Amino acid sequence: MGVTAGEVVTPADVDGLASLLERATREGLAVRVVGGGTHSGFGDPEGPDVVVSTAGLAGVHSWEPDDLTIVVGAGARVADTEAMLRERQQTMVLPEHPGEATIGGILASGVSSLRRGRLYPTRDRVLETIVVTGDGRVVRSGGRVVKNVTGYDLSRLHVGAFGSLGVIVSVCLKLWPVPPASATVNLADPSEADRVVRPLAVLQDRSGTRLYLSGTEREVEALVSRFDGPVSPGLAWPEDPAGPWRWSLRVPPASMAEAIGRIPSGWDYLAVHGVGEVRAASAGPEGAADLRGWAESLGGRLVVVERPEGASFDPWGAPPPGLHLQRRLIEAFDPARVLNRGFLPGGI
Amino acid sequence: MVEPLELHLYSKDASLMRGKPLAVAFPQDTAQVAEVVRIAGRTETPIVARGAGTGLAAGASPTEGGIVVVTTAMQEIDIDAGNRTAWVGAGVINLDLSHAAAPYGLYFAPDPSSQQACTIGGNVANNSGGPHCLAEGNTTSHVLAVEVVLAGGEVAVFGSAAPDPIGLDLRGLIVGSEGTMGIVTRALVRLLPVEPGIRTLLMGFPDVIAASVTVSEVIASGLVPAALEMMDQRMTIAVENWLRAGLPVDAGAVLLAEVTGEEEGVVSQADVIASIARANGATSIEIAEDPEHRALLWKGRKSAFGAIAQLAPDYYLHDAVVPRTRLVETMREIYAIADRDDLVMLNVFHAGDGNLHPLIAFDASDPVVYEKVRRAGDEIVSICLRNGGALSGEHGIGLEKRDLMTDYFEPVDLDAQARLKEVFDPGGIFNPAKVLPHGSRCFDFAGGKPPEGTWV
Repeated sequence: MGVTAGEVVTPADVDGLASLLERATREGLAVRVVGGGTHSGFGDPEGPDVVVSTAGLAGVHSWEPDDLTIVVGAGARVADTEAMLRERQQTMVLPEHPGEATIGGILASGVSSLRRGRLYPTRDRVLETIVVTGDGRVVRSGGRVVKNVTGYDLSRLHVGAFGSLGVIVSVCLKLWPVPPASATVNLADPSEADRVVRPLAVLQDRSGTRLYLSGTEREVEALVSRFDGPVSPGLAWPEDPAGPWRWSLRVPPASMAEAIGRIPSGWDYLAVHGVGEVRAASAGPEGAADLRGWAESLGGRLVVVERPEGASFDPWGAPPPGLHLQRRLIEAFDPARVLNRGFLPGGI
Repeated sequence: MVEPLELHLYSKDASLMRGKPLAVAFPQDTAQVAEVVRIAGRTETPIVARGAGTGLAAGASPTEGGIVVVTTAMQEIDIDAGNRTAWVGAGVINLDLSHAAAPYGLYFAPDPSSQQACTIGGNVANNSGGPHCLAEGNTTSHVLAVEVVLAGGEVAVFGSAAPDPIGLDLRGLIVGSEGTMGIVTRALVRLLPVEPGIRTLLMGFPDVIAASVTVSEVIASGLVPAALEMMDQRMTIAVENWLRAGLPVDAGAVLLAEVTGEEEGVVSQADVIASIARANGATSIEIAEDPEHRALLWKGRKSAFGAIAQLAPDYYLHDAVVPRTRLVETMREIYAIADRDDLVMLNVFHAGDGNLHPLIAFDASDPVVYEKVRRAGDEIVSICLRNGGALSGEHGIGLEKRDLMTDYFEPVDLDAQARLKEVFDPGGIFNPAKVLPHGSRCFDFAGGKPPEGTWV
């Protein structure tokens, strides 16, 4: 495949992508992989020579509703795939408002659904990955069964790796049934949520706290009757806060109340109770350094999800442990370091 | 410890494969593990971590000799009820953790059949499962961080109580790596709240096929029970002969289902399961609400392996997994092997996630029988792979299935895994010869030379 600097290339299949990356490795071209472009604000990525789109790898290879599994190309849009799965009341349990995001992009950036406290984060939804490494090897890991310990767990390693180990081209995901009934309850205080042992989600923003419930008709009806607050049928998932700066604050779940108290007054936020995640947006980075210092003192993080072009702020904060191992792992997959340089912390 | 008899005690795990340890170490803490790892590194001695030795894939058998590091003295349990987490020493017994968490209304979800003996360190090494992993996933979904002694003796903590640690998920890679990348000394685990409502259903069916169809239909109905376990008739008879658990011995297969949640939810979920079972010709349905009744229904399932001893001196327990929709076909093919070879095969398994455990009872002192059993085992694995399955659902690869890895992965896949192992363990001291078959590191795409001693 011919490549010109600055070009966007859309390989039609895995072989095309493999030969492209093989060539990039030979010629030392920096490659940026894009899916829907919705999560490209992380890290400090270097300017690429070539942009590779996964749009050509968007097919649904197999959906086994009775197995609760789907094998799908990484370039498939989350929204389209979820719409298809809804026909059989199933879900991938990926972010609720994906926009243009692709499945590969969601996995690579490691972001999760708001239902993760009950239905587990994205990393736990992945059963199999097929990736093309930086030097063009097509590597499979995991399998198309819901329980599997065959070989090292590379599939989880690819989640949140920002494509640094390889371009995700196809995945098998564990699906989950969507129960027949659901409701959203407005709470006067987050502590009221304790009346339900394992709700689908408890979310808080500046307008208040809402409890998300699902189950059989009878179950949801009974659970709703435990509350006085206003109830609406269905699950109206909020959008992430919008602004020129977007953040992900991650703390141990018991520190959530304090985290909310520490969010600077001008910031918009969406707190995911029970998980320890606060998604936030602001006009500028003022207050972020203090917030990060506090989060890191608890073993947590304040991560820059998006910032204005040219704005400077350390995207990840203190480097994670095991950076030397991370570098060597990446070299094992991408020896010439052609893939998505600079997304990960530690300048990797 | 270097006394011959004592060394012999640590020469194998619960598999059939034995090694010969050079020494056995019982470290009291992480620093002592690090010291042993440094010595092993300096002297290029293999080092094999061992918890209770309940592993079934020879993952803790020191088949290459070397030092066995027994973690049983590392007994910390530090529960943080507010965060629903606990720091747990590698030597803590799985069930002890759930007992310690019970006063806080919490429990540790992974519950291998050996949970009265197996350790958290072993669970982390093997990414262990258990009946209740159907809804909650294997161990890796419940490990937030690991403290690990790396090659050279460096101690690192990967992960945290806060979600989504940044950078590559080294914790996720360490879990399930069977002690081949380092030695996990402590783990920060996630605890789940005990749910108020629970129903256990014991259902008898005319045959395994009817029970398998019920499993498929329950999963397809949009309901994920907490557990969905099956026993065939040979197994229920063996169990009833051993202890009276009240299993319907006239049924061709027994299905044990459990649903948990809010009281109102479990009532309607139990109704759904019972009506699917009836539609598939269930011959008996018993529903337990109170703890005593539940314990009785589980007693048969949990005692299954103990019941084998009355049938034959040895048993070979397999662990393979197939897509749930292939359950019926796979079971048919597996029974055909047993019938053909006149083997005593019993089945007790995690039907809900397609995780099969065919068990062959036999006398290992008869070499002809032994060979037949071994061959049947290989055939069972082939059947599962042909049906779209994988080599292991929860026991691990160890040595038992190492050489079958080439039936499941392409050389390029195994090479990638071998590269990861090299990153963590360049000297090759951690549990050598396990998981990856010899020659895995044979694929050198960039055109460099393969390392000496490998075949291409």
